[in-house]
Amino acid sequence: MKFLPFIWKHLRKNWIRTGSTGAAIAVCIFLFCTLQTFVASLNGFLSPGTTRLITRHNVSLVFRMPNAYEARIAAVPGVKRVAAANWFGGMRDLSKPADVFTNFAIEAENFLAMYAEFILPEPEKKAFLADQRGCIIGHALAERFHWKVGDTIELESTVPAYRTARPLDFLISGIYQTDQVRYPGTNESLLFFHYKYFDEATGKKAGVATYRVEIADPRQTGVISHAIDNLFENSDTQTHTETEAQYRASVGVLGGSFVLLLNGIALAVMFTILLVTANTMSMAVRERRAEIAVLKTLGFSSRLVLSLVLGEGVLLGAFGATAGLLLGRFLINVLPDVPVIGDVIRGFPKMDVPPAIAAVGLAIGVSLGLVAGLFPAILAYRARITELLRQA
Amino acid sequence: MPAITANIATTTLTVNVQGVRKVYQRDSQEIVVLDRINLAVPEGDFVALMGPSGSGKTTLLNLIAGIDRPSSGRVTVAGTDLATLSEGALAGWRSRNVGFIFQFYNLIPVLTAAENVELPLLLSPIGGKQRRERALTALRIVGLTDRASHYPRQLSGGQEQRVAIARAIVADPKILVADEPTGDLDARSAEDTLDLLQTLNHDFRKTIVMVTHDPRAASRAHSQKHLEKGVLLDEV
Repeated sequence: MKFLPFIWKHLRKNWIRTGSTGAAIAVCIFLFCTLQTFVASLNGFLSPGTTRLITRHNVSLVFRMPNAYEARIAAVPGVKRVAAANWFGGMRDLSKPADVFTNFAIEAENFLAMYAEFILPEPEKKAFLADQRGCIIGHALAERFHWKVGDTIELESTVPAYRTARPLDFLISGIYQTDQVRYPGTNESLLFFHYKYFDEATGKKAGVATYRVEIADPRQTGVISHAIDNLFENSDTQTHTETEAQYRASVGVLGGSFVLLLNGIALAVMFTILLVTANTMSMAVRERRAEIAVLKTLGFSSRLVLSLVLGEGVLLGAFGATAGLLLGRFLINVLPDVPVIGDVIRGFPKMDVPPAIAAVGLAIGVSLGLVAGLFPAILAYRARITELLRQA
Repeated sequence: MPAITANIATTTLTVNVQGVRKVYQRDSQEIVVLDRINLAVPEGDFVALMGPSGSGKTTLLNLIAGIDRPSSGRVTVAGTDLATLSEGALAGWRSRNVGFIFQFYNLIPVLTAAENVELPLLLSPIGGKQRRERALTALRIVGLTDRASHYPRQLSGGQEQRVAIARAIVADPKILVADEPTGDLDARSAEDTLDLLQTLNHDFRKTIVMVTHDPRAASRAHSQKHLEKGVLLDEV
């Protein structure tokens, strides 16, 4: 500790060099923390109930299945209930993409029975089930648009097959809450309305994008998935049934390969920053040849000189990591309010930098500084006094 | 010779160099920098090592200070045979026994004068308050208490050298070694520095070995030793 002022004074000596190196480490840790927080949020998103399967068109989600499939799926042994669910892609105003939110047409009674994570007061649930024009919204959505029960809204679909002559109008029947402890990652910003209303409005031509299938025994996932798909193997519209986690992973951006990409990016950035920091520290130590000679002459052992150089690296890494972590937390809190990006972020469960990721981020920053300082520290350790004095 | 030998035998020697040789290897060539050097410096003595450039005087000073090792022979300083010490032990020994004064002062630029003087004391077990007090005492001896909080860039050359001398004496070493201490100073500052070294020798009984090529500086010493091509000539 008594050498801490000595180390700090050297870091302060060249503010620009220290600041830019610290900023580089901060960027690295910021990237790590935000990417890993996103991955953690993704994992929450990818961990839904294990008793739910999703059946969709075998070729692509873009294509829809006949309504008649529902009864046949419901008859498969082990299936508890089935609910049609179509992503509607509705917007209040097509000219305001910033106001986008996710909305689904669902067979409400069965859907709400199998999705216990959407918690509705009983009166609101009854009102919703009783009114074909009714809809329920997440509390985060209600806060965002200052909606309350009883308000009416209109939505126009962005999916050509779902477009109607006029926007569909809805009455907000209820606002659902979520229990992020019991059901972590539950989306708080969805809107659900009745599939029947949607089907009739589109002239019964909409079809079904997904069937949500609840099964009695999660150990029967594979058997029941195959059984469902076998039903339609020889049909024009073949199906593909998978667990909800697999389904979410396969939709758009999700899945192990994307996570791998994110981690790969973080690793590449870390390595680059390591090289930059190591070069900066080597330059700093080279400039202090005379000083190292003096310290050794005064009686500072080679080991102590090595520790001092490493200490600079560690301190630099710690400062950079702290700055990066703070920046990451700030950005994650601010991102949902940023236009366009915020719309994507709000589709995921609420993000915050978990303590474990923060701790790992700090440890990485300190390690970066330590490793970057290692080579110049070893050079200083091995340098002979007479050689250093001669060079100085 | 017998009389001189007898004198050396009865006087405490701070420095005793016996049969020292220092050889450097450059590719296949052997370069002899010091050849069979014998030097005895009694306690409280002030010795000037003189000689032309390349004569080996700085090399000899480095051996005495323990920052280099001879190729053969023995160097005993303050009762310790330096060859018996490992590198780590030698560093510790230097911190307690040797005060080094460089030609170009070599103060640490990011530290104030007081912090520079305090630097050797960081290696001792004494606490922060006591370190600061001793640093101020050393600065008082060299007459620079009012410059304690100044950085080296705010000091003149002569003042920097005095701070360097304060740093060299703060740990109360057995021996001061000075390598061309006036080499980078103007005449007035050089005189002040030499006055200070004489005071340290006379009033504080510090043993001083000084390398210089300046006859005026050498004249301040009790005795002068001449080196020529790595060989110590007769005492003057």
